[in-house]
Amino acid sequence: MKGNIYKNNHRSLNFLISSFPNMFLAIVPAYNEEKTIGSVVQSLFDHVDRVVVVDDGSRDETAARAAGAGATVLRHELNRGQGAALETGHEYARMIGAEHVLHFDADEQFDVADIRPALAKLKNTAADVLLGSRFLDGRSRVPWVKRRLLLPLARLFHRLTDRTRLTDAHNGFRVLNRRALDMIRLTQDRMAHASEIPAQAARAGLKTVELPVRVVYREYGQGMGGGARIIKELIFGKFIRRIN
Amino acid sequence: MLFLFQLLFFLFSFYAVGNVVKKRREGSASRRGVIFWLIFWLIADVAVIWPNSTTVLANAFGIGRGSDLVIYSSLALLFFLIFKLHIKIESINRDVTKVVRDRALRDHENIKTLKH
Repeated sequence: MKGNIYKNNHRSLNFLISSFPNMFLAIVPAYNEEKTIGSVVQSLFDHVDRVVVVDDGSRDETAARAAGAGATVLRHELNRGQGAALETGHEYARMIGAEHVLHFDADEQFDVADIRPALAKLKNTAADVLLGSRFLDGRSRVPWVKRRLLLPLARLFHRLTDRTRLTDAHNGFRVLNRRALDMIRLTQDRMAHASEIPAQAARAGLKTVELPVRVVYREYGQGMGGGARIIKELIFGKFIRRIN
Repeated sequence: MLFLFQLLFFLFSFYAVGNVVKKRREGSASRRGVIFWLIFWLIADVAVIWPNSTTVLANAFGIGRGSDLVIYSSLALLFFLIFKLHIKIESINRDVTKVVRDRALRDHENIKTLKH
């Protein structure tokens, strides 16, 4: 089916690939982020080759603002969650032959100054996946409950289920190379994708590294209920293929 | 009193079995599902018509009363069905995502083709 979608556009795709032989693509999932999306997209253009915003069924002007700022916009007609939006971005990255992709949030919580060092570290360490961490230096002010309770629990869950050892468990700043892009397929539509990425990377034998990044909290993000929901999604997700 | 309950339950089980058979004819029920529900309603009818039969079975499992056995097994069955339902909903959710994703990529390409 995908072949059919892109059959008529080989010329434009080839043009894209030849213009950026080592394309670095930023994927920005966005849901009702009209206030910040424009400036986030603009700030990204100094650090990546292209920006794709996956508008996840927003009811505001997110798509128009993102397009106005120069991003490619893919629009989910229904809200499917951040994991689903990222996988749509991955699919697009595979189509246009991106060499590296960056996951970046639409709410200005990340710092674009971390992007170049991240890509450099991924290349220098010959890693496939780079995950941002809020705990490797003191730049991020993480709320107490999150720092002391939710994230340690998440780390323990990862250690027990996927045998991955990370200093941060749910950080949306990531860089993936093409190998990781080909081997990782996100099936968790909502927030549990953040657990799925290191787990799939470990299973596929991909090398994962961490880098300290700065996170500025605009909103709290995942609370206690969110954490419980993520664990529920991960557990039910493990049964889906087995029963159906 | 018990007779009236038995009669009503019996009628309801007939209605339920009729529904299962109808769904099978329409092609919306699997063979395994039909067999499961037929056996389920058969056991339920036997238990209602001969209430002592559950006590015999309960004693075999080391449970005192037949009605306790019915409650325990019903709870287990309900939990299992809710679990299966959850999985099914999640699976449908993933299918919806696939459709939404394909449309998003297709729409984007169509717009680009129109512009060129």
